Amino acid sequence: MKDNSLFNKLSSRLDELSNLPKLDDEVSISKLIEEKGFSRREFMGWAGAMTSMLMLPASFTPLVAKAAEMADRLPLVWLHMAECTGCSESLLRSATPSIDSLIFDYISLEYHETIMAAAGWQAEQNLEHAIEKYKGRYILMVEGGIPHGQSDYFLTLGAHARTGEEIAVNASEHAAAIFAIGTCSSFGGVQAAAPNPTNATALSNVISKPVINVPGCPPSESNIVGTLLHFILYGTLPALDVYNRPKWAYGLRIHDACERRGRFDAGEFVQQFGDDGAKNGYCLYKVGCKGPYTFNNCSKQKFNQGTSWPVQAGHGCMGCSEPDFWDAMGIVHEPLGNRLYHTAFGGMGSDATADKIGRGILTVTAIGIAAHALISVIKKPKD
Amino acid sequence: MIKLIEKIEGEAKLNFNFKDAKIDFVDIEFMSTRNIENILKGKSAFDALVINPRVCGICGHAHLIATVQALENCYDNLELSNKAKIIRELTLNFELIQNHFKWYYLTMLPLFGQKQQVLKATYPSQLMGKAIALFGGQYPHTSYAIVGGVVCEITEMDIIKLQHYIAQTIKFVEDNLVKIDSENFLTCKDADTLLDYEGDLPDILRQIKKEKLLKYGKSYDRFISFGENSYFKKGKSLQTKVSHNISIEHVKESEIPSSFAKNVSFKDKYYEVGPLARAMVNKTPLIADAHKKYGDSIFSRILARVCEISQLLEHSKKLIKDLDLSEPSYIEPSLDISQLSASGYSAVEAARGTLIHKVEIEDGMIKNYEIITPTQWNLSGGTKDKQGVSQKAMIGLSDIKTAELVFKSFDVCSVCTTH
Ligand code: SF4
Ligand code: SF4
Repeated sequence: MKDNSLFNKLSSRLDELSNLPKLDDEVSISKLIEEKGFSRREFMGWAGAMTSMLMLPASFTPLVAKAAEMADRLPLVWLHMAECTGCSESLLRSATPSIDSLIFDYISLEYHETIMAAAGWQAEQNLEHAIEKYKGRYILMVEGGIPHGQSDYFLTLGAHARTGEEIAVNASEHAAAIFAIGTCSSFGGVQAAAPNPTNATALSNVISKPVINVPGCPPSESNIVGTLLHFILYGTLPALDVYNRPKWAYGLRIHDACERRGRFDAGEFVQQFGDDGAKNGYCLYKVGCKGPYTFNNCSKQKFNQGTSWPVQAGHGCMGCSEPDFWDAMGIVHEPLGNRLYHTAFGGMGSDATADKIGRGILTVTAIGIAAHALISVIKKPKD
Repeated sequence: MIKLIEKIEGEAKLNFNFKDAKIDFVDIEFMSTRNIENILKGKSAFDALVINPRVCGICGHAHLIATVQALENCYDNLELSNKAKIIRELTLNFELIQNHFKWYYLTMLPLFGQKQQVLKATYPSQLMGKAIALFGGQYPHTSYAIVGGVVCEITEMDIIKLQHYIAQTIKFVEDNLVKIDSENFLTCKDADTLLDYEGDLPDILRQIKKEKLLKYGKSYDRFISFGENSYFKKGKSLQTKVSHNISIEHVKESEIPSSFAKNVSFKDKYYEVGPLARAMVNKTPLIADAHKKYGDSIFSRILARVCEISQLLEHSKKLIKDLDLSEPSYIEPSLDISQLSASGYSAVEAARGTLIHKVEIEDGMIKNYEIITPTQWNLSGGTKDKQGVSQKAMIGLSDIKTAELVFKSFDVCSVCTTH
């Protein structure tokens, strides 16, 4: 059923956007995509996939397509902080086959160090120029954790050796919307793991404006692209969970939509990598899957254009989109539930998050997990 | 007269000193660090399998393989199936291949005054990313390799997909990079005949010749490569003299006061690592010929890297034929890691050259971890009397643009250098 009021709201938002100046008068995104060899049909197919990912009815597909075409009204500033560039790498391989990367590449022309040929003075000028020119209009995406306070000298960037913290604060001031891309920038990430030698922290801790977190290490390309499209479409911040993650992507636990869930319910577990259970696709809980404690849409969106995702490949989820997952999720190949279930996430357990999205269904499974896994077969003691 | 000009490369800073209008010395400085080695200390050993790929999203897979091999090296008699070995080697090959495409189309082309070709970079690297994801579940940052093997249980179906990705990538090479049959390209022994072919690679090689850049980028003509597998050999090459008898014991790391990166030397000398080094040690005919004619210049360096794409694609096809799916993917180590106190190391050939991991474990916990990355070898910043490999390659050039080209021909990466 078509929700007319939402449809109308989004259409008028897009109409407003279309009045804004384009990045380049001579270029339009639809032409650009066509020039790169994508047919209109392919483009619409892509828009359809995006529509369903954003949890909109299929009748909204033309709107999503239009939103993509409007992307050049809201240029993108992408900042690299202390990180591994895995997030932008994830994007480089983005979906079906390359419409996303095309759009991103085009609108973030002003400042994307990895893709950009300009370096040094040039790059820094580009950044300053972009911020000045698109004041109040640009979208800021930050990848990487930020060494903070006394330790800020662990990351200096650009010809003036400004600290990462300074640059982030500066760029956030006039941004229309701010997204922390990846677990590093959302929650501090790997460099913030104990003992956090560089005192790295989340973007939201160094700036005073609201930050939407798109965690994952790396987040899937579709969550990055979806975040952008969502903002273009709605012009407002999406519905968020307790950790400021967009609900459309992070609303469900990995465990809830996992293809091995039936195995879990049946009590069929991989006891050890390489055993018959592993060959038959049994549940990976006992070899360390953190899917029951992790909110993300990996099982649906998958990675590398939908090729696979860790659980499909036979490795448990490691909880990479949860705060402090390095320290809170325990040992990688050991189940968390046997020992520490309620101490995850600073003692709140995942109930705290479950609370926000409908306690009823979730807690039932939550209580059951550890017990259930224990009863079915005791994990084989190693000698 | 000394002129000081600064130039940033990712997060590296190059200070050029000019004397008589020629580059006299280049100071290389890295400006950030994440201190991953300290984070590893005190963590459970297997956690390194998850943490280390995050050292670098660009060659994270090499870090995974190096980690798992260093941990396995701590065991006395660990068993590994052939299948697991082959699968690990395949995914590492794919990472190298996708890297080289991106380097060529995103980094190299603009330096020759051409436009970046984003789609030509992403299309084949997406294919290779998919190929890795078949085994690893995702790329970047898979942790599918574990002590004792790999977690994936692949099927015939996966193999068919894999072969398809490889075939498509080979086709891309033949349609774009070097427009000849891959087999002819691989058996070609004369670097100059390449100049007569069509394609993105010959175009650049011709341009190098036309613009008289052939002699640029020469350094010590000293190469080293430690990562051994079914394709790469371990060894060093000094002016084409190859010896395979080298030991990691002689590799030393030393601090540099001005920079977050550390210098790396072998028996107190700086060596070049990377595709050119591997080809020299492997004595690949085409590259040996280029080296004979043009030395360790940008010509040979660029050719060696691009050529590795086709070599590894071809070799991967062979590896797949040797795969026996009925073998176990994982063989449980006889000793639980929590009972293990030992030290181990590994050397792996990553896209940019030799990557070394060293680990010390006590009762299954990491006591010490050391990572030496490829770019550290090439970018070791020496003093004027004892220059690093890339520093030396830039001496005597008269403009910064050419220096940048020479510098980037090493495919530098500051991300993992400052891990
Ligand atoms: S979140 Fe993960 S993938 Fe992204 S920059 Fe951080 S470590 Fe790399
Ligand atoms: S525990 Fe992991 S593998 Fe098992 S059903 Fe849940 S998410 Fe899937």
